[in-house]
Amino acid sequence: MAILRRFGPRARHRSAVTAFTIAGVVALAACGGGGEPASSGAAAAGAPKTGGTLKVSFFPDNPTFSCIDPFQVYWIEHRTIIRNFADSLTDQDPETGKIVPWLAQSWEISADGLTYTFKLRDGVTFSNGKKLDAQAVADNAQGWIDTVKATNGAAFGASYIQGLTGATVVDPLTVQLTLSQPNSSFLQATSTTNLAITDPANFARDPKTRCTGEGVVGSGQFVLDHYTPKVETVLTKRPTPYSWPSELVENSGDAYLDKVVFNYVGEDSVRTGNLVSGAIDISWPRNPFTVQDTTLIERSGHAVEKRPLPGVAYTHFANTSPGRPLADPEVRKALYKAIDLKSYAATIFGPEYPVVGGVFNSTTPYYEDQSAKLAYDPEGAKKILDAAGWTVGEGGFRFKDGKQLLLDYPITQFSAGPELVQAQLKVVGINLSLRPLTPAEQTTYLPQGNYDLTSTYFTRANPGALQFIINPEVANSKALATRSASPEAIADTQALFAQALRTTDEAQITKAYADLQEYLIDEGISFPLFERVQTAGVSSHVHGFAFTSESFLRLNDVWKDNS
Amino acid sequence: MTADVHLVPEPEAATLTKTAPAKNTPAKNVLAKNASPAAVAARAEAGGGRYDGLRAGLAQLVRKPVFLLALLYVLFVVVSAFAPGLFTNQDPIETHPQLAVLAPSLDHPFGTDYYGRDLWSRVLHGSALTIQATLIALGIATVAGLALGVVAGFFGGVVDALLMRIVDVQLAIPGLLMALSIVTALGYGTVPVAIAVGVSIVPGFARTTRAEVLRVKTLPYVEAARAAGAGWGRVLARHVLPNSWGPVAVLAVLDTGVAIIAIASLSFLGFGAKPPAAEWGTLISDGRDYLITASWLSLLPGLFVALLVLSLNHISKTLQELER
Repeated sequence: MAILRRFGPRARHRSAVTAFTIAGVVALAACGGGGEPASSGAAAAGAPKTGGTLKVSFFPDNPTFSCIDPFQVYWIEHRTIIRNFADSLTDQDPETGKIVPWLAQSWEISADGLTYTFKLRDGVTFSNGKKLDAQAVADNAQGWIDTVKATNGAAFGASYIQGLTGATVVDPLTVQLTLSQPNSSFLQATSTTNLAITDPANFARDPKTRCTGEGVVGSGQFVLDHYTPKVETVLTKRPTPYSWPSELVENSGDAYLDKVVFNYVGEDSVRTGNLVSGAIDISWPRNPFTVQDTTLIERSGHAVEKRPLPGVAYTHFANTSPGRPLADPEVRKALYKAIDLKSYAATIFGPEYPVVGGVFNSTTPYYEDQSAKLAYDPEGAKKILDAAGWTVGEGGFRFKDGKQLLLDYPITQFSAGPELVQAQLKVVGINLSLRPLTPAEQTTYLPQGNYDLTSTYFTRANPGALQFIINPEVANSKALATRSASPEAIADTQALFAQALRTTDEAQITKAYADLQEYLIDEGISFPLFERVQTAGVSSHVHGFAFTSESFLRLNDVWKDNS
Repeated sequence: MTADVHLVPEPEAATLTKTAPAKNTPAKNVLAKNASPAAVAARAEAGGGRYDGLRAGLAQLVRKPVFLLALLYVLFVVVSAFAPGLFTNQDPIETHPQLAVLAPSLDHPFGTDYYGRDLWSRVLHGSALTIQATLIALGIATVAGLALGVVAGFFGGVVDALLMRIVDVQLAIPGLLMALSIVTALGYGTVPVAIAVGVSIVPGFARTTRAEVLRVKTLPYVEAARAAGAGWGRVLARHVLPNSWGPVAVLAVLDTGVAIIAIASLSFLGFGAKPPAAEWGTLISDGRDYLITASWLSLLPGLFVALLVLSLNHISKTLQELER
């Protein structure tokens, strides 16, 4: 209950404070099911050594949007990099989901949920020597708002600062952020890399220039040396002393490593091979390692660290436009019963792999298990389809009015095991037609609606994440959002989101998110396929490996014994 | 990838003139004799005993066991392409998660892939797609190459200059690169890949045909036909074309291996038939993530393709050696 003690004495704030404490406890309970331990002990290997270069291999860089500016980035790998050179106002405990102090020593949230007052830690400086004070935070807030305007809302961080209207400096170490409407996920937002505090001078540059990393200066343990899109990103140790990590970190001082090189490797097998051969220290894939790769890494004496990414699971969304087969709610119902999530997870990622239990991954706060509704029941699926008038015809596929039950399923580099889903659906007579997309089609198929089933996901340790997929008002792809459900169903989900977000009442938030998760399955809006687990192959020479609450890599405690 | 090397015509063929008809490459003459009765007939004036030569050649071939093996293998692949069911009773698409990634055994000669599908069956069913694509590619290359070459060679002058400069430009672009850009424009699938590969090997065919036409059109019987009052259309269709296409047919045989590799390369890069259908290149590519852990997934289909191309090359090489 550390937060409670840090808070001001005024009693009227107590309710809000208690509410957030409860949030932590609820999240703790939710995590009990699927969460893996978030860090591997550094204790076993003796005292940390300093120095050395850590080499990390990532999945290929974002093909459409090369960017390393904290506020604009959505690429998971880059958020990992940002976490290590820029600090945020708060941090989030990966095990409990609790928000803990970082750059802000304490905070108060007004009873109406519209004013957030942050008391900053003294003596924090950016890596260029400038002071990180209340003015800097206020300028950042203004910078975020301006960036949203400059990019017409396309900047990814827009989703984190919904309702933020501005900031005022109370005293050099106290800053007040004001919102126009309550946003229950805002405090969590302040812990993310997207709202990391950077040198305000950075915001003088236009958003595009910032994406290149030019002038992006944070207060982290590391400094962004350079970012060469699609080739590498290099961090170097902060030249001046660092002493303000959050309480979640053991090492309260400077980084152990001198340099961290992140490169982008296209082939999964090459990334694994690099680790096994000792060419790199950490192999960081996007989709989890295959069973074979996990075995190979472990057999070579290295470790596979894993933690489910919080946020939206790897989920299919349907195109329910009129005339499309999935406009028929009965077909959508059958789809749940036709996909064997358990055998899918076991085949693609191994027998130990967690089975997805709902639209959110199990590490997401407010997660509610929906597995009963996602159970495999091919006979049930057949019955539903029979009753809906889809009869088995040529090739074992189903037909209605001479039209085959064919689902157009575009596949991209993010797809995992599409042929297995295809084989599973074939059992009940649904023809899932896989269509590899050309690079040109990858950017156009969503807006044009050339799909029946598509998949997406989104990482954020808050259920509000889902808004940016299915709420057309703020969605990343408005096309996907509007086609994902009927207008009435969309209005219903929007209402549930509003209930959860525009309040500070913890009970209401919990209930609204629980209702939402149930509603999404009952209405056939989201079809989870697998729990997204961030796996990382970690060399036996690396110690102090840790995941953040968003399952990003945290380097504060990392050191190498062979540097 | 050696496709572009094969696509460049031999300099002799390109510089053939009426004064040097005998300088045609020996390989082509030999192959022409064995591969095409028309070409054999064209050389009828060379003297009798041609069937004796053929018989002797065949007898020599039978004494070469490696050649026979190669021939048998090619025949096996072609038959399996049209009737894969003869050699396997497993379904190439059905998944069996409990049988995933099994090493080769009696039940599964090539093992199983990560969905538990029988790899041997997938390779054989993949033959159909790849052989089809090869035939389409060669068909396009032969027809278009013959047409371009005959028109350029027979009419000469501006038409020739224009067509050959276009061919020059095409030759300057590496074959695989050109195929890549064509397939990107056409979209993915077996037929687009076949068209892309076909178009990219047209220049070689056009050059060879033109050289042959240049040679044939100065021969006395062509002059005789013209002197006898035959129109140019008749001369072209009845005298020049039948006597020029022999070397092209030979080139088609030689280029089969090249086309197979090009098609496999494109499907390796993901431009081939859409899943779950499997072309050879797709199979090799699908297995590449398992090279260390389950190497057979890539290596066995790769070996299958490599053996086929080697066999084709060996067959043409043997035919070439027969001459000496």
